[in-house]
Amino acid sequence: MHARTVCHAVGALLCCLAASMAVPLGVGLWYGDAGVWPLFHSLWATGLAGSLLMLGWRRGRDWSLNHREGIAIVALGWLVAGVAGGAPYVLAGICGWTDALFESVSGFTTTGASILTDIEAVAPSLLFWRSFTHWLGGMGIIVLSLAVLPFLGVGGMQLYRAEVPGPTPDKLKPRIKDTAAVLWQVYLLLTLAQTGLLWAGGMNLFDASTHTFATLATGGFSTRNASVGYYDSPFIQWTITIFMFLAGANFALHFKVLQGRPGALLRDAEFRFYAVLVAGATLVIAAGLYSGHYADAESSLRAAAFQVVSICTTTGFATADYEVWPHLAQGLLLFFMFLGGCAGSTGGGLKCMRVMVLLRLAHQELFRLVHPRAVRHLKLGGRTVPPDVVSGVVGFFVLYVSVFAGVGIILTALGMDVLTAFSATASCLGNVGPAFGSLGPTENYAHLPGLAKWLLSLCMLLGRLEIYTILVLFLPEYWRR
Amino acid sequence: MAFFRRQPQSEQLKIVIIGAGEVGFHIAGRLSRENKQVVVIDQNTDALRRVTDAMDVQAVQGSGSSPSVLSEAGADEADIVLAVTDSDETNIIACLFANAIAPDAVKLARIRNEEYTLYHDALRGDALRISMLINPEVEVVRTIDRILSVPGAVEYGEFAGGRIKMAGIRVEEGPLVGQKLMRFREIVGEGAIMVAAIVREERLIIPTGADVIRQGDIVYFVYDEGTRPALLASLAREERIIRHALIVGGGNIGLRLARLFERKGYHTKLVDRDAARCTHLAEQLDTTLVLHGDGTDQALLREENVAGMDVVVAVTGDEETNILSCLLAKSMGAAQTVTRVNKAEYQPLVRAIGIEHSVSPRLSAVNSILHFVRQGKVLSSISVRGDEAEAMEAVAQAHSAIVGKPVSQLDFPSGALLLAVLRGDDVFIPRGDTVIRPQDRIIILSTRQAVSRVEQALMVSLKSF
Repeated sequence: MHARTVCHAVGALLCCLAASMAVPLGVGLWYGDAGVWPLFHSLWATGLAGSLLMLGWRRGRDWSLNHREGIAIVALGWLVAGVAGGAPYVLAGICGWTDALFESVSGFTTTGASILTDIEAVAPSLLFWRSFTHWLGGMGIIVLSLAVLPFLGVGGMQLYRAEVPGPTPDKLKPRIKDTAAVLWQVYLLLTLAQTGLLWAGGMNLFDASTHTFATLATGGFSTRNASVGYYDSPFIQWTITIFMFLAGANFALHFKVLQGRPGALLRDAEFRFYAVLVAGATLVIAAGLYSGHYADAESSLRAAAFQVVSICTTTGFATADYEVWPHLAQGLLLFFMFLGGCAGSTGGGLKCMRVMVLLRLAHQELFRLVHPRAVRHLKLGGRTVPPDVVSGVVGFFVLYVSVFAGVGIILTALGMDVLTAFSATASCLGNVGPAFGSLGPTENYAHLPGLAKWLLSLCMLLGRLEIYTILVLFLPEYWRR
Repeated sequence: MAFFRRQPQSEQLKIVIIGAGEVGFHIAGRLSRENKQVVVIDQNTDALRRVTDAMDVQAVQGSGSSPSVLSEAGADEADIVLAVTDSDETNIIACLFANAIAPDAVKLARIRNEEYTLYHDALRGDALRISMLINPEVEVVRTIDRILSVPGAVEYGEFAGGRIKMAGIRVEEGPLVGQKLMRFREIVGEGAIMVAAIVREERLIIPTGADVIRQGDIVYFVYDEGTRPALLASLAREERIIRHALIVGGGNIGLRLARLFERKGYHTKLVDRDAARCTHLAEQLDTTLVLHGDGTDQALLREENVAGMDVVVAVTGDEETNILSCLLAKSMGAAQTVTRVNKAEYQPLVRAIGIEHSVSPRLSAVNSILHFVRQGKVLSSISVRGDEAEAMEAVAQAHSAIVGKPVSQLDFPSGALLLAVLRGDDVFIPRGDTVIRPQDRIIILSTRQAVSRVEQALMVSLKSF
């Protein structure tokens, strides 16, 4: 492995990150709040560290990236981004490093699990940065760098594969730089649209933009203690529901629709699966809520749709405390924490595509008992899924469940009750945010022991980078030449 | 909502390559490094993975002769379609559908069967409109012919219809060795000749006056016919006249080469291992002596007086046989040898084990296809040192950036060098005060990083269209 290549690229990444800190700094200067100096110090320190790494290990003539460097750059890049992103919270004296890292990793991985007990007391510029880390991490800090840094183009596919969610990331354009740029254009367009709608719907511009960042990245940080529930406006809640749903769909499909091919959405098998599941669960839960919890049909439907979409896309916003809902509703929500959005979306979880592959695989095994000699291919949307992709999906599922079980058991050893421990693990691994038990939508993660916070931060990174990218670093073979 | 329908980057050519074999792989690599939008289609997922791991291109899995796969690959937006699979029929069908999907795209097909090549007019017609047929076997015979035309040349090419030549020659001895390039004129004289590039220890150097020519360097010269004697004298090389040639391997390439040698009046001998093939060859050829035997058989080589051969060319389908027979012939006294080596990866190795000239049908095809892709702006081009640099010939357009200013004031990309100018019938080497006029033919050397910027400099600014 070429340490030099990795250092240079990570340095470049830090420089990009430092530049992005200028945005919340501008917000701070506008409000003249207490976040200005912490952000300013974080900015120059990140920029300096980045430039030192970049200049210290210049890229030579033989610049190249293979699988190993790609994995190292993405994994290391996300780790240093977590540290740099947490610095403003520590410098502002809000919390210590453990909490700051938890908050920052939760931001970048679009989890939305928070350790802040009183969000509204924090300076606006820091809240803006908190939501902005969602937005950067949602489409991917690496994908952003691919669009901006031309030298990453060679071997960029390795980086792209290591960061973009889904078993087989597609290229939308022949060149990786153009693909990354197109994805960010779609993302930006949706961001502008939603901010405009929320603003028009009565939010102020600050809340509109921060909630948009958290929605489209499927993050879940709000600037209000009561999350989206603070806004008692059906228009705002429906807008956020729809955009969360869009953010959980494959961005390649959005691109096709924007190109003038709206049929692409309905033709996509994964999108149909996703839409049917979300709609079905919404109706079931709404029926349950209508008989006892809400007075009218619209508000039960709205509450159910909002919470189903919020959990399924792994956003984690809340308009109601679902822990007082019927048990069936809670069970469905817990299941949706594992499901996640579509491949190629900003959502976390297992992803619909993988679940579909696993279901088809299970069906095929049953079918084989009836027709032992049948020759059948595993097909998805009319296309055969290559055997190496299938085995990759199975491996992913096994690792996902193993990490879930392992971390959950350790958390119970730390004294947490079973429901809280396992739902928190599922929630962080799926980048959702709120869990059950003592970590429900109205509570936060501040009261957890330090070790639990570190483990859950690791889970968020594992979930966001799709397990393999981080776990492979623990493989001895990875480090052998 | 046509928000994303088409990007306005007109300078980014979109090229669809069908077939990710050796030819497709190398063309895709070259073009993607020049910032072109490249899509590669192949049925074999392993071949595609090799492509996507090595370069920044889009890969589409499927049969290139299927219209739906072509649409999926975005052939409707393609500027150029290159059908370079191993199967002639697949390539022709791919071009047929590409013609239906994208009538404006320029199409090229790799065709090996001579029957088809003879009917190029039929393929060029309205049904297919294939602009160019490329046959690797023909290309490699051309390459061998070019190499043999200059003694000691590793690579050789011609510009402006043969008026300007470029040769990469290995420097062994002569007055140039150990001299700085500043003193080049004193040694070679004031003719139209220039050093374009130096390759030393597998690295390319774009020369300045302070660079020294060392023994063992491969130096690329650009010259016209009149300065050839002075050039050869400065390298202490003699004009070598070929009278006797031995060809090992009587496949399609061997047969074509034998026909060429016959036309040139060489006394040619051809060895092939297969008795039936030998009978066929003897039928096809007139003056060539066809021998049934093994090219690596020492006794046979001695019997046929290999020591008296001016050139031994080994072009069997088997690399080991080719390398062994050339090494053997060389050790037994043959003046020079040419070896067919298929794998591009072996090219650097070939020189290390003492093979003088190596040729590859696929790489020859790649070079010809690249010339073709550059058509329009660039008339022809010759690669230097594999693909590190390229010498290009272009006509200076009236409104392009390079016309009308003294050369020293041009904003020329670094890594590019203006080598020679052909104005009317005069070939001359540009100096700082030379002003390029419209319709001059210019030869430019460019490293591969600078190719796209050179192409831009040559382009007429879009407004004047």
